[in-house]
Amino acid sequence: MSDSEEYASGSLMEDEEEEEQESASDQEKDFGLDNSVTVSKKPAYRILKGETLEERRKQALEEVTGVLGITEEDAARLLRRFKWDVTRVHEEWFSNYDAVRASVGLQDEAPVPSTSQATCMICFESYPTDQMYSASCRHLFCHDCWQGYTSTAIADGPACLDLRCPDPKCTACVPTSIIKRTAPPEALAKYQSFCVRSFVEDNRSLVWCVGRGCECAVECCVDRTADEALDVICSSCGATFCFNCKEEAHRPVSCEWVRKWAIKNSAESENVHWIIANTKPCPRCSRPIEKNQGCMHMTCSQCRFEFCWLCQGDWKEHGDRTGGFFNCNRYDAAKRKGDYDEETRKRDNAKQSLERYMHYFERWDAHQKARNKAKADQARISADWLERLSEQTKTPSSQLKFIMDAWSQIIECRRVLSWTYTYGYYALEDMDHKASSTKEGNSSAEENQRFFFEFLQADAERSLERLHEAAEVQLKKVMENNSTAQGNGAPLDLDSFMAFRTHLIGLTDVTRGYFEKLVRQLEKGFEDLERDFGGGSAEEAALIETTL
Amino acid sequence: MLCLFACAIQELVDISLGPLSNCSAGPKGDNVYEWVATILGPAGSPYAGGIFFLDIVFPHDYPFKPPKVSFCTRIYHCNINSSGQICLDVLKDQWSPALTVSKVLLSISSLLTACNPGDPLVGSIAQQYLEAREEHDKTAAEWTRRYAQA
Repeated sequence: MSDSEEYASGSLMEDEEEEEQESASDQEKDFGLDNSVTVSKKPAYRILKGETLEERRKQALEEVTGVLGITEEDAARLLRRFKWDVTRVHEEWFSNYDAVRASVGLQDEAPVPSTSQATCMICFESYPTDQMYSASCRHLFCHDCWQGYTSTAIADGPACLDLRCPDPKCTACVPTSIIKRTAPPEALAKYQSFCVRSFVEDNRSLVWCVGRGCECAVECCVDRTADEALDVICSSCGATFCFNCKEEAHRPVSCEWVRKWAIKNSAESENVHWIIANTKPCPRCSRPIEKNQGCMHMTCSQCRFEFCWLCQGDWKEHGDRTGGFFNCNRYDAAKRKGDYDEETRKRDNAKQSLERYMHYFERWDAHQKARNKAKADQARISADWLERLSEQTKTPSSQLKFIMDAWSQIIECRRVLSWTYTYGYYALEDMDHKASSTKEGNSSAEENQRFFFEFLQADAERSLERLHEAAEVQLKKVMENNSTAQGNGAPLDLDSFMAFRTHLIGLTDVTRGYFEKLVRQLEKGFEDLERDFGGGSAEEAALIETTL
Repeated sequence: MLCLFACAIQELVDISLGPLSNCSAGPKGDNVYEWVATILGPAGSPYAGGIFFLDIVFPHDYPFKPPKVSFCTRIYHCNINSSGQICLDVLKDQWSPALTVSKVLLSISSLLTACNPGDPLVGSIAQQYLEAREEHDKTAAEWTRRYAQA
């Protein structure tokens, strides 16, 4: 199913949305889970493939040529001038006819000179006029000079689309016919690709997908303010990026914070990178440990000590199964608060701001790495395991989509989670600073804000760790059980597989819910956080209890 | 290459015959790509009485790319910096292959008559030009006397 086919049949429904609805109804049928809440709101963006783009470009050109009665070439000039906004082209054309024509270099044809010989004003050679070309202004130049002019302009980039007559005082646009006649083939190919690319690059509501080798464009379908972030997932290549700043997708953090964070990371990198270079010593036996699985629950292969990769604390204090509380997302400014004299405090401040930054950076970085690992894992599972599992369990591989869904969710959540640390770094900056530099600490309202933020983050993080573990460790177990059963000729343990399936789908849904909530609330800011938080989380908590 | 040569010859003729009383230009030596030019400080400007030497280097794709023109003589001017680089539109995005060296020198000469403080290369000089014109002219004349007179 491609976009262009959909357009041909007149349906505007997006690929993804359709799939989503399909899969939702699949799940309902197959697993009896209540998934009746389908996403019916308008998608914020649409992925457009090459053919669709070309179609849309032609459509815009046709509209303009049809209404204004001008050539396609001139229509393209106008559309580029007005950022491919057809309505604006029409408006401007009819209200400012002369100014608009002048701005794109359209001129009335000047009379053809009667002489048979003319001097080319670039090389000062004399040529018969029938061997020379000119734009509508009739400034004649010879073939060789035109060739030099057009090929240099094309080599300089897309500005060549707005090429004007070589005469320094003349503003007439150079017709495409001259470019086609004079530019060398490779330059001409480049010129034509500029023409096509202009539709996306000069268009306010379109950007190219940043994925390597991906030729899709993304259309923003909602009203956005100038600097507003919009996360995009390309349905064709899977790249995730921000529509506004083209960086890695980064909700709930604003584009500005991402820019600041990137600068900060490169500036502090010398200090920090060696500290958190890829290994950490085991907290008990101090043997260096490299993290090669996705989740934060580590087991030392030497001393069997279980700990959390983030805080290097005992895992027994993490996760509610062991009765502990998952709280390694907290930055404990309070523990550094004590009776300091002025000198020590000044000295400590510098150290502390680095420590504070390291706290957030380390967690941001750990989740980024976990995300990359999860991406690799997803690719490996989809390549190696799915087929085997489908054979073992005698289920068609389309029914195993839930595993891929879970992994996609993990990847997305890792990304969101890593950005919440950037969010924390900037949003709590003043507060942490105050807590460490004064003895009084923060007001209770501020403490509440921090508490709510960290509580939400911990909630989401805990839910994600659970999902990650299920998708990684439990899946492996299921696979192993099945293969040993198969080896023994024993009947397959389908029940346990079905249980695993229900469990994983439930976890995926709950985790998605948590993260959507987290992103929404962080974007709203702290003021609303407290109010909204009170109502929603009890429901969510009840939901997670029932699904587990 | 051939084109450049033809252009250069034509321009030599152009300059020697043209009504350019205060500019001159010609190849440095055997190399047709490197020229040296002189501009006489325009009368009525603080640069009057000075002789300014300029280097002109033609790129290989001349005349489709602009020549690189820079001052060898030091000059106190808000569009020309201490290494002699010139901020002038026709030497950058407004270049046209139909322009010639003589036209470029003419533009530079008129830049000496009327500088462009709105788009400065040396901010401090532009600021002084706008706020303390007399002082600016005095320094410019002083520099002309010191660096541009034999």
